[in-house]
Amino acid sequence: MEKFLQYKDLSYFYQTKESEIHALNHVDFFVEKNSFASLVGPSGCGKTTMLSLTAGLLEPSNGQILLDGKKIEKNDSRIGYMFQRDHLFEWRTIWQNIILGLEIQKKHKDTKALALAEELLKKYDLYAFKNKKPRQLSGGMRQRVALIRTLVLNPSLLLLDEPFSALDFQTRLNVCDDVYEIIKSEQKTALLVTHDISEALSMSDKIVILSARPATVKKELQIEFSGSTPLKKREDDNFGKYFELIWRNLS
Amino acid sequence: MKNKNNYSKAHAKYLKKLKKDKIIVYFWRIVVIALLLGLWELLATTGAIDPFFFSSPSRIVTTIINLASTGNLFIHIWTSLYETIIGFVIATLLGGLIAIILWWSEKTRKVLEPYIIILNSLPKIALGPMIILWVGSGPTATVVMCVLICIIITIISMLNAFISCDNDKILLMKSMHANKFQILFKLVLPNALPEFISVLKINVGMSWVGTIMGEYLSSRAGLGYLINYGSQVLQLDIVMASIVVLCLLAAGMYALVIPFEKKFKKS
Repeated sequence: MEKFLQYKDLSYFYQTKESEIHALNHVDFFVEKNSFASLVGPSGCGKTTMLSLTAGLLEPSNGQILLDGKKIEKNDSRIGYMFQRDHLFEWRTIWQNIILGLEIQKKHKDTKALALAEELLKKYDLYAFKNKKPRQLSGGMRQRVALIRTLVLNPSLLLLDEPFSALDFQTRLNVCDDVYEIIKSEQKTALLVTHDISEALSMSDKIVILSARPATVKKELQIEFSGSTPLKKREDDNFGKYFELIWRNLS
Repeated sequence: MKNKNNYSKAHAKYLKKLKKDKIIVYFWRIVVIALLLGLWELLATTGAIDPFFFSSPSRIVTTIINLASTGNLFIHIWTSLYETIIGFVIATLLGGLIAIILWWSEKTRKVLEPYIIILNSLPKIALGPMIILWVGSGPTATVVMCVLICIIITIISMLNAFISCDNDKILLMKSMHANKFQILFKLVLPNALPEFISVLKINVGMSWVGTIMGEYLSSRAGLGYLINYGSQVLQLDIVMASIVVLCLLAAGMYALVIPFEKKFKKS
């Protein structure tokens, strides 16, 4: 078992006017390479803080986070972040949105990176919309664009912060399938934060349940279903049993 | 049922109604102004109101023609116009630049915030005598007045637009390793474009206020001067004629901003 993403005794405190908040307490777990892991926990337990720390946007107070054996640094190019909303810039075309990260990192003339962007657009049926503005796309398509915007930077780890929460239920199920397929076929490792147990179950190989603040790992679950896509996994006989188990651990 | 334009009959009917409504609005706009002008003219010619104090549409037109034929009118228009445009441009650019600096440095912003609020609530006309002492009377004083009136509101509006930029979008930029310059130029500034256009629209009006105020205070030319002069020599025709010209100029400048706004909305 290759420990690709590793949290070692991670603690985090942050300061507010009123007091010091103990957000994370000795968090310790790992995620295997090319697998899909989810973090679930009561709201406000520090799931998003975990992602910000993993993205290098915050510094751990104690402990460390290792990716492929190396400590995560600020502006670590191995990591891609996908947010709750797509945050596409309305004044840019789809293509300009997709190459935003490349522009920032001064790679927008790198033919290899641009070829990857074109290829991803074609592969995921967005090429015809290349020159359209974001508002001309559906919610699901916009999320796909947001994912591709992250993927063109070629990260090995993808952090997903409830990326489907702004979508209606129908779209959500489909986008879940799309995103899952893209992440699997691009062979990325993913860490998803969600409050939706079914969503976590349908997408993950592993689920880490966090306790209320200060968050610590309450339980780790390896998930095995027969289906190959999130939608099919939902039909598995054991789906309800896992759901029960997580539900009990959360309440 | 589709016709040759691919519209159903009901849709065609709906479009026709929209067009009809628009024509009705235009028609009544013209009727309202025609009625007002007609009534004014009628009251003035029948002697119900004294044209010496209230002038009349025909007298205004005659005055404008007379002023134009001597060439004087154009000198006044040109003076006011360039004062307004220079004031407008300086206030908008300088105000925008100051707003950027205040966005960039939170400390500076916090230090200066109360002073900006005080300056905003201060009636700028109170500074008039000081301006004249410092820069002398004439066009420079008018431009300074114009800038003072527009710049504070420009700073406040633009700064609010910059600060209200979605924090998650900034986080997204940071997660892609953007520096502060890139966050400013790729996100914060383009994101504030709608606010910038509304500031332009506000400043068109405000800069005329500044110019006329400045010219009232001290000037030898300009529409504000002409209005002031007209009232002092009790020539209400000149006052009214200047106001009409002023209305046309302000509307013209406002109209120049509209295509800019339309272009932005399309893009």
